[in-house]
Order: sequence, then structure tokens, then C-alpha cells
Amino acid sequence: MPNVSFNFSSVRFSNRTLKNIILKNLTQTARAFALIAGLVLSTTWATSAPALADDTEDAKAFVNQLASSAISILASDSTPKVREDEFRTLFVSNLDMRRIGLFTLGQYARTPTPEQKAEYLELVQEFIVKIYSGRLNEFSNETVNVLDASPKGKKGKQFLVRSQINFTTGREPVSVVWWLLKDGDSFKVFDVQVVGIWMAQEQRAAFASVISKNNGDFTALLNDLKRQIGEASIGHQTATK
Amino acid sequence: MANETIFRTKSLWVTLGTSLTLLAGLAGCATKPDPADPAAVAAYEEANDPIEPLNRYFFELNRFADIVALRPVAEIYDGILPSFAKDSVRNVLDNLRSPVILANDMLQGEWDRAEVTATRFGLNSTIGVLGLMDPATGRGYARHGEDFGQTLGTWGIEEGSYLYLPILGPAPPRDLAGFTVDLAFDPLTYVWWDHTSYSVGRFLISGVDLRARNLTTIDEIERTSIDYYAAVRSLYRQSRTAEIANGRINEDDLPDIADLD
Repeated sequence: MPNVSFNFSSVRFSNRTLKNIILKNLTQTARAFALIAGLVLSTTWATSAPALADDTEDAKAFVNQLASSAISILASDSTPKVREDEFRTLFVSNLDMRRIGLFTLGQYARTPTPEQKAEYLELVQEFIVKIYSGRLNEFSNETVNVLDASPKGKKGKQFLVRSQINFTTGREPVSVVWWLLKDGDSFKVFDVQVVGIWMAQEQRAAFASVISKNNGDFTALLNDLKRQIGEASIGHQTATK
Repeated sequence: MANETIFRTKSLWVTLGTSLTLLAGLAGCATKPDPADPAAVAAYEEANDPIEPLNRYFFELNRFADIVALRPVAEIYDGILPSFAKDSVRNVLDNLRSPVILANDMLQGEWDRAEVTATRFGLNSTIGVLGLMDPATGRGYARHGEDFGQTLGTWGIEEGSYLYLPILGPAPPRDLAGFTVDLAFDPLTYVWWDHTSYSVGRFLISGVDLRARNLTTIDEIERTSIDYYAAVRSLYRQSRTAEIANGRINEDDLPDIADLD
């Protein structure tokens, strides 16, 4: 106990000087830091931050526009054939068809010959148009609410836009996420997630399985795609009658 | 009479066991990819379905059962019952599952969701007349599902290789274990201990309810898939991932799409 009181004043003294030194240094470093931070912040603020914020807003606007185009196609009284053509135009100009096609090939993306690949990319586009314009028919009488968007990855090229489809029929709302890629001033859709299911991932599993089952024979996939496209067309004709 | 034979669980398990052993032998002969073919090996690993031939066999078995029994029953159920009656069936089934959902909410540390589940159970069992109605949803306590497979998922346990079982459907090891643990969490397992037929009945009604709510969706997927089995496998895995994340999107779950050429 006496020891403590004896040392007290000296400790206090050295404490004070130490404090002064630290404070001095701190203010200097703080100033330097503030300067650097200010510089960094002002430059990033001027360039990337507002640009990214703009991009996410643009991404939301893009989805809004795309969804309303799809809804107006669904709401029209056109024949299935006309409706499919309208969806074809909409899909081809707004989906990143090549990337989707290559992704859905999965591990087999590098196996086909250039001719096979070209044929495949054409077929997969037609397959997507037929299948998804059909599946979309289920979504008439709805409104799409775009909720929020966020960049995916660090490069600022990809965006995820969350939305909700509300049905006028009282059906439970469906959550839909749009995976966009920046394409010049606009965007292209890479994939769409409906109630937790990414469409391209589902197709990739099926496509890869067809090739595997046929011991790597790529033509098997081409034939299956042709068959499905054909069946979807027949389905149309019967629906029209 | 027919019920007696079907539900004589002992003989069912014996038959199931024998056929499983027989078919596991068959599955052992499943063709593995040529190690010299990197694309085939990578595709085999991505599918993560080492006993695919056996799984496909069971898948076809279930599909047959669906065509001859489940789908027709679900269609009649969907067509005959007025929608308030169907809603009531779903509400009662949901309400009966509350204890299992609550246990898993808590095990995952999702306290807000646990509160929702507890409140739902309280409201729907009382004001909702034994769970027939769902007044809780209108009061801001919307339904959600949970099971022990998902809980294991949030603990970082992988799903494991794909497994497809008769009647049960997709049941990879993690989710099969989860299914068993959920049975233990469920008070009705003990209440109905001596009345197995009640539990089986509940299981069957849940199946019909689920099938009836997805009549057109399932038909559409079956009709438009170039490989229905592989599509369902992907659908199952993806929906499990989404359920485990409780609707949030985990960027690590998404594939890299930068360079595909």
C-alpha cells in the first residue's frame, strides 16, 4: 500500500507527458489521415459511388420496363402465334442468349464442334422462347413490384434486382430475382429466379444430364432440343383450336 | 383389408430392405465416366449423383404412383372441395407442424421467426378454431416452413450425394437425417404412438394437399423438361438452398459467369 502512494505522483507525471506526446502525434496522424481519406472519398464519391448508385437505379428501371412489356404482351388478345413472336422479339433483345446457352451447357461447353455449337445456340434460343413464353402464360393478371437492386461482385458489371409478382386473383405473391449484366448503356438478363429456382441452373442440370446419359454425344442434346421445340409448337396449335 | 396389408409396416420395411439391397447391387454397376474425358468427369462431379440408375428407378416408380394414384386423387380433391375447405386442410396441417417449425427456428437462432411461429400457433389454435383458419397471417404473422435438414444446413452441413427414395422422394443424407429428427421433435409422434394409421393418414393428406396446389406447375415442368429427372434434382437442390437462406441470396451460392467461352 505505501508503495503505491509513493509512486503515484511520478506515475501521474509521466502519464501526463505521455498523454501530451500521444495527443500531438495523434493530431498529426489524424490530420494526415483526414486529408488522405478526404481525397480518397472525394474521388470515389465523384466517380464510382454515384455511378454505382445510378446503375442500380437503372437496373431497377430496366426490370420495370421489361416486366411491363411482358405484362402488356400477356394482357393482349393476340393469337398464341403472335404472342410467341412478340415474346421472341422481347427475349432476343433483352436476354444474353449466348451466355445463357454456354452456361446451360455446363461442363460440356467446350466439347462441341463449331458447327454443333452454332446449331446449338440457335436451338437453345428457340427452346427458351417456346418454353418460357408458355410458362409465362400462367402469370396473367399480375403486377410486378420492383423492390431493390444491388451490385453482384466487385466489378460493378452484374446486378441482382429483387421484385415481387402480386396476383389480382388473391394467389400468394411470388418473389422473382433478376440477374442482370451491364451491356453498354443498358442491361441484358442472364437468369431469373422464381421462388428460389434459377431457370438457367435448372436447364443446365437437364442439358448436362442428356449429354452424360448419351456418353458425351452432343447430337443427342441437339435432337432432344429439336423434339421439345417441335412438341411446344404442336401444343400451340392444339391450344389455338 | 387393403389398408391392413399396405400399412403392415413390418412387411413393408422387409420388402423395401430386400429391394434396396438388390438394387444397390445393380447401382454398384452404375457407369462411371471415362477418367480420360475431363468434361464427363466434371459433369459427373457436378451432378453429385453416384447411384443415379437406382435413383432414376425409384423416380420412375414414384412417377408411376403419381400417375395412377396421387395425381388423380389430387385432381378430385382440387376439383370437388371448395377453396375454403382446401385452405382449412392446409391450415390444420400447417398448425400441426408448428412445434417442429418452432424447434428448428430456435435451433437456428432465428428468434424473430420463432416468435412468429409461436404466435401463429397461439392465434390459429384459439381464434382460428383449432387451426382451421389462419387469422395470424392477416395480423402480420405470415407462415414459413422449417425442418431439421435446413437447420443442419445453416450449421454448415453439406447436403451430400443425391438420393431419391420411393414415396419420400428426394432425400439426400442431410435431409433424410433431418426428416427423422423432425419426427422426434413432433409431439404427435408420441401422442399417436399406438395409432400409426393416424400418422400415415396425415402424411398422405399432406402429400395430396401439396400435389393439388401444384397441379399445373408440375405438369408444365414435366412436359417442358428435356430430362425431367435431372430437372427435378436441380429444382430440389435449388429450393433447399433458398429455404436454408430463408429467401436471402447468398452470392457464394451463385455460379461464376464471367468467362464461359
